[in-house]
Amino acid sequence: MTTATMDDPAAGTAARPPREPRPGLMTSIRRSWDRYWYAWAMIAPVVIVLAVLVFYPLGYGAYLSLTNANETNVAKDIGPVHIGATYHWVGLHNYWQVLSGRDGDFYPRLEWTLVWTVACVAITYSIGLGMAMLLNRKVKFRLFYRLCLIMPWAVPAFIGVFAWRLMLNSQYGVFNDIITSVGLPAQDWLGSPLSQKIAVIMVNIWVGVPFMMVALLGGLQSIPGELYEAAEMDGASPRQRFWNVTVPGLRPVTSTVVLLSTVWTFNMFAIIYLLLGNNTTGDTDILVTYAYEKAFTGVSDYSAAATYGIVILLILVAFSTFYRRQLKPEQA
Amino acid sequence: MRRGISAVAMAAAIVLGVTACGGSGSDDTSDKGAAAKDPAAVSGTITYWDTSDAKNEAPTYQALIKDFEAKYPKIKVNYQNVDFGTVEQKFKAAAQSGKGAPDVIRTDVGLIPEYASLHYIAPLDGTAALSDTQDFLAGPMNTTKYEGKTYGVPSVTDTLGLLYNKDIFAKAGITAPPTTWDELIADSATIKAKVPGVAGTYVNPDSYFLFPVLFGEGADLADPAGKKVTINSPEAVKAVTEAKKIYDTSSLKIDFASAYDNMQTSFKTGKVAMLIQGPWSVGDDLTGSAFQGKESNLGYAPVPAGSTGKAQAPTGGHDLAVYQGSKNLDASYLFTQFMTSSASQQTIAGKNGTLPTRTSAYTPEVLKNQTIAGFKPIMDTARPRVALPQVGSLFTPLQQEYIKILQGKSSVQDGLDAAAKEFGKLLPGYTVQ
Amino acid sequence: MTATTPLKYRGRGERSRGASLALHGTLIVASVIAVFPVLWILFISLGPSSAWQQPHEVLHHLGLSNYRFVLLHSDFPKWFRNSLIVAGATTVLGVLVSASAGYAISRMRFPGHRTLMWTFLVTQMFPMAVLIVPLYNLLAQLDLIDTYLGLILVYCTIAVPFCAWMLKGYFDTIPRDIDEAGRVDGLTPFGTFWRLIVPLARPGLAVTAFYSFLTAWGEVAYAAQFMSSDHSTLAAGIRTFASDQRADWGSMTAASVLIAIPASLVFLLVQRHLVTGLTAGGTKG
Repeated sequence: MTTATMDDPAAGTAARPPREPRPGLMTSIRRSWDRYWYAWAMIAPVVIVLAVLVFYPLGYGAYLSLTNANETNVAKDIGPVHIGATYHWVGLHNYWQVLSGRDGDFYPRLEWTLVWTVACVAITYSIGLGMAMLLNRKVKFRLFYRLCLIMPWAVPAFIGVFAWRLMLNSQYGVFNDIITSVGLPAQDWLGSPLSQKIAVIMVNIWVGVPFMMVALLGGLQSIPGELYEAAEMDGASPRQRFWNVTVPGLRPVTSTVVLLSTVWTFNMFAIIYLLLGNNTTGDTDILVTYAYEKAFTGVSDYSAAATYGIVILLILVAFSTFYRRQLKPEQA
Repeated sequence: MRRGISAVAMAAAIVLGVTACGGSGSDDTSDKGAAAKDPAAVSGTITYWDTSDAKNEAPTYQALIKDFEAKYPKIKVNYQNVDFGTVEQKFKAAAQSGKGAPDVIRTDVGLIPEYASLHYIAPLDGTAALSDTQDFLAGPMNTTKYEGKTYGVPSVTDTLGLLYNKDIFAKAGITAPPTTWDELIADSATIKAKVPGVAGTYVNPDSYFLFPVLFGEGADLADPAGKKVTINSPEAVKAVTEAKKIYDTSSLKIDFASAYDNMQTSFKTGKVAMLIQGPWSVGDDLTGSAFQGKESNLGYAPVPAGSTGKAQAPTGGHDLAVYQGSKNLDASYLFTQFMTSSASQQTIAGKNGTLPTRTSAYTPEVLKNQTIAGFKPIMDTARPRVALPQVGSLFTPLQQEYIKILQGKSSVQDGLDAAAKEFGKLLPGYTVQ
Repeated sequence: MTATTPLKYRGRGERSRGASLALHGTLIVASVIAVFPVLWILFISLGPSSAWQQPHEVLHHLGLSNYRFVLLHSDFPKWFRNSLIVAGATTVLGVLVSASAGYAISRMRFPGHRTLMWTFLVTQMFPMAVLIVPLYNLLAQLDLIDTYLGLILVYCTIAVPFCAWMLKGYFDTIPRDIDEAGRVDGLTPFGTFWRLIVPLARPGLAVTAFYSFLTAWGEVAYAAQFMSSDHSTLAAGIRTFASDQRADWGSMTAASVLIAIPASLVFLLVQRHLVTGLTAGGTKG
């Protein structure tokens, strides 16, 4: 019985690729099956796992977002208590509530989420590119530098964040010890919403640079050396070589890592929460931490949290569609 | 075609394999999460979720469980330590799904109304869990009630008091701890002037620690009888204005990201003279340079009073509750009864220094513990919080606005009005002024 | 060993002293910033349990008391074992599953392969954390709550889309002639993949393994929600050291160091392949 409920959506999604092509005739289905079953068998594990553990809950979330379900009105079947669900369909009410700005929180949170994402991605990319270019030169101790620079990636993120939290402590943190020992006044690094925002961006950059750096380093190494030689022959200055050879050569890597890190940063949940803890004004919440709070403080508001989840998904889908479309003509 | 079929079969096998492995790998005793089974099927194993400090407190509870198993050899207790920050979410997810939930849970008293209203925990009236109820102190017993029924059994209790460093008071020439908030401000000024490098207090920006100030002015979060949000009432505004004044005049600057740690460290290393704190913190205080080896240097007093003249702080502590969907209610009741018995409470108090919830557990032996002796009189100032299921949700907006007020980003009135507005959204049917 | 990546352009003999100094200076500063927080934790962990408040005291009280507590008197060893199981299995399963999917998408033009690539991206856009309760119920129905398998599968849903996407790019860089050769030798497509392509894709697979391992090794939210304390992983388990109101930072720092060690080892094992592996995927993605 447990699997029965599961089979449905699983089969539905899993089978989507096969069913998609030209509707109708059994023979065409069979032909396509004969041709492609091998490929489908190889992707089946991924498709099944994703269908069951991602797309089924996601579909369920989409459904919840159209209702007023919360922890008090969902069905309960606990010991002697059997209460049917009393939530009902509310159509797009939740979305209207969010998008019209009536809940008062969406647009401020969205604004900061955008600032946070753009700042993190842009700075992480710039630093990553800079480091990659340095490491791409012939330089002594290159391996040593590379190992050091990748360190933040090799350590689980929560440990890195924990370290920063200790170091940034205004009373007992090492940064203020250093600063005051040089005679400068101690700083309240995490004291106001603004400084907290700067701090979370900084820590996220620290965590994110190694990935960018490694990806871009590979990108730099894949640019044929002849291109640089040719450019040098033509008398191009280092700056011109950068803009005319390096940047176009990196374009494919850039487009991928920027897209990925935008998606990851937009939903970066752990860093903000772990660095700042509970005592915040709420100004540092990005959409996803805000949604999470909604879902989990006190009596859970399932539908509101799901609505936020879907809105986030739609924003990112819209962004990536737009982004890839923008890139395509240039790439060609 | 045969190959095709085998591929489908393979896919099916993966799905089934997944289910089968999961089934065998899991060792939880529940099966369908629903209907009460007939008593003969009761396995005799119950799961207990403890939220006590894994390092310092949990060993006492584990030892007691051994005693319980010795007394009832047919019942086995599966002990699980769950961290305090995760437990609410984790329990609620498990409780609503019917799988993975414990049979007995140690829960913060503030969560009883929420769990009870959601039907997660069982009413205990008339069960073996509640024994000798007239022996329980009124305050802790009160925390177990929701809509006239009893949903928990008090295990340990606490409240907020004023902890102070006697040395610093002596150096500043202060003879008695402050009894009103204004005195606290005045004493802090004296300390600042006479004892260099020491501040009066460290304000904890967690909204729970705002309660003594609110109660001192007769204010509260909401009024369930009148169905009114009262957090922006004139009394509340007066209270928070006072809190802000204390922060501005008498407190070390808060590090908002590490407030609790810094507050504790400042106090126990003698950088701060007094704190509004609970008995749970004393163990930590005694590890600091100001109190290590000189426990007598730590003074205990009730929280200061507000302009109403009444000193009041919220009743805290932990109750044991039984999961409504437990497969083994009888064993759970017995376990709850055992763990909250006077003898068990005396053991816990003796080892952990937490305050018992039974009158009879305050034996001369137990009262030798200075923390317990210090806090026992303070318990008289404890009063319950509003028993609303949504209380947990109310803390977040209040805290955010309180922090804005402390940081000077909002005026007291604006901040509390904003909090009241949020309360209105969370409390359907309540009016907001 | 850096010679594995020969420089592809411009002789560099002529870099001036000043430029060299600036180059090394920048790299040193950057390295310090990258490494300092980690070393700081290590440093604090060697002091008494209150060392975070008085860092200058650490040198006078160097000791392993935090480690002793964590290793001998807490559930750390149990969590460590659980984490090894979960992260190890996630790595193996994640790599296998994403490699076979990546290969299929790279080599076989089957209906739906575009959709699938797009799907991999979309799965990373939805904040699953907000659906943790429905996910809990789903796992409960499948009897996967509090099982290693359940957690491993959930981690695969995080790791596999990225890995498959990346490996598809990597496979694209391997010449198709090799597949042809395999077919001529009478290997099945899967045989070709397994015998010929996988060995050639080692850098890509190494990165995938690294990514999958780290995903499972450091994840907190799901582990805390789905696993009982007997099956708890490190990241979730050490939260009992540092609840909101009684943080034992000493144990926390020691545990952090111990947790970082295996992650760093895995990193050292794969770092040789990291650059080539990651980018081949990136360029073609």
